[in-house]
Amino acid sequence: MNLDVKYVFPSKLKMLCIALMVVGVITFVAGFLINPDKTWANYLLNNFYFVSLSIGALFFLLIQYIANAGWSAVFKRVPHAMGAYLPIAAVFFILLYFGMHSIYHWTHEGIAETDKIIAWKLPYLNIPFMMIRIVMFFALWILLSRYLKKLTLKEDLQGGTGFFEKSVYYSRVTIFVLALTFPFFVVDMIMSIDVHWFSTLFALKNFIAAFFHGSAIIALIVILLNKVGYFPMLNNSHLHDFSRYMFMLCIVWGYFWFAQFMLIWYGNIPEETAYFVHRWESDWKTLFFVDLFINWFLPFIILMPRKTSRSKPVLIPMIIILIIGQYIDLYLQIMPGTVHENSFGWLEIGTFAGYTGLFAFMVLNALSKMNLYPKNHPYIEESIHHHF
Amino acid sequence: MKNKYLLGVFGDEEHLLDAFEDLKANSYKIEEVYSPYPIHEILTGMGHKTRMTHAAFALGVVAVLGLLGFMYYAAVISWPLIYGGKPFNAFPSFIVVTLVATILIVTLGTLFFFSARAKIFPGKKAEIIHEGATDDKFVIVFNASDIKDNKDELYRLLKRHGVEDIVEK
Repeated sequence: MNLDVKYVFPSKLKMLCIALMVVGVITFVAGFLINPDKTWANYLLNNFYFVSLSIGALFFLLIQYIANAGWSAVFKRVPHAMGAYLPIAAVFFILLYFGMHSIYHWTHEGIAETDKIIAWKLPYLNIPFMMIRIVMFFALWILLSRYLKKLTLKEDLQGGTGFFEKSVYYSRVTIFVLALTFPFFVVDMIMSIDVHWFSTLFALKNFIAAFFHGSAIIALIVILLNKVGYFPMLNNSHLHDFSRYMFMLCIVWGYFWFAQFMLIWYGNIPEETAYFVHRWESDWKTLFFVDLFINWFLPFIILMPRKTSRSKPVLIPMIIILIIGQYIDLYLQIMPGTVHENSFGWLEIGTFAGYTGLFAFMVLNALSKMNLYPKNHPYIEESIHHHF
Repeated sequence: MKNKYLLGVFGDEEHLLDAFEDLKANSYKIEEVYSPYPIHEILTGMGHKTRMTHAAFALGVVAVLGLLGFMYYAAVISWPLIYGGKPFNAFPSFIVVTLVATILIVTLGTLFFFSARAKIFPGKKAEIIHEGATDDKFVIVFNASDIKDNKDELYRLLKRHGVEDIVEK
């Protein structure tokens, strides 16, 4: 099998991505003129959404390295490419500085004097420290994901198992770094919207959500590339393994979602239940259950049988539903605390389209710049002939 | 009938698989294959499909409905008590118990179904078809009535593939 293949980014798809980006920019400009507060909330939502996909894909990659997984070796360039979105995301998150007043209640001048709870949280939640954290987190993620990419690209040229062993070592480092940084990132960016509320499971739940939907996106990219003629080695066993990740993670996601909800529901402490009471009011109630239905129940039932978890016609719509699922999950976590009303409309659709275009452009562009298969990967043969 | 079975005993996986493919190509009816470890080609080649997963799923559904139904009956119908300001049907708090008990019921249930299907029970005397099958040998079992017409051909075929021993019992 010829492994010297490069992905060619078709100019039509490029134009589509750019068109989507233009739609996004226009929506943002219109949004900032009409309703800046709501637009900033959307800005945060989309930024976080696509960072979570990148981080989830990175985590997927790290697990493959650390577990010495053979089956996925040939697809590893896809999560590598998904890391290419991180530098742009870093810039966007630094620009969030200008929107903090609209999103975060605790950044308001003099709020600490009247609000005792915020005053206590001030040593951690203050704008300079928050900006330092954003810069530090993104610097670490970008450095480490770039270094892993560099190692596998060098492996293409020189071969040998040395680069793989080094990748495994740095994957262990990165997994520690992710575990220590991403939860704080989640707390800063999303949990601090509802600044009076806290949940110790919140960060972990979002971490699992990122891993869950990041893995789903990897599978989607691989399947779609397979449809246009790349990844000819993709077989039922690979599909089964991809859907096992989704199946397993939907259960873990549901577990964390439920654990967080149940403890608060059962504890019945007003300062904790306020968060869920707000989301259980008529405006959000439907979405609250749709979130659980889409992210847990549907994949659980649909991906359970062996037949459906090996079928592309099932997996593609399933992943598209999961893409919506992650959006609803974040929408429910961000919008009630910022916009205070469920008003989904052109702003949400336009901005999401813009970010989708940008993300697709960055990922496919990065993918087209390297060899599509890590041809000197020690497990490449095992991966191509994967069968169970 | 005197001889119920004919056994082809092989020393290694490679010879067994060659013989197995050849036997299938010549449409011999194979009763059973014993090997020291599971062999993928044999598992798919024998064409047996397990329905254990369906049994497990059905058990799971029954367990969930039964447990939730029981807890609903106990907490709402039979002995309604208000505790901690919760509604009688404190559904979210039932889920944890349901989850754990369902796992137990499914585990024990599949064990029971499997034992019933394989006709094994505590204290049953083991039926050992060939001493080697419990050790390091690979044994193909034929039903004597299936192969009585072309026994000589079968002998030749097995010998061609390096069978170590042929036993009729």
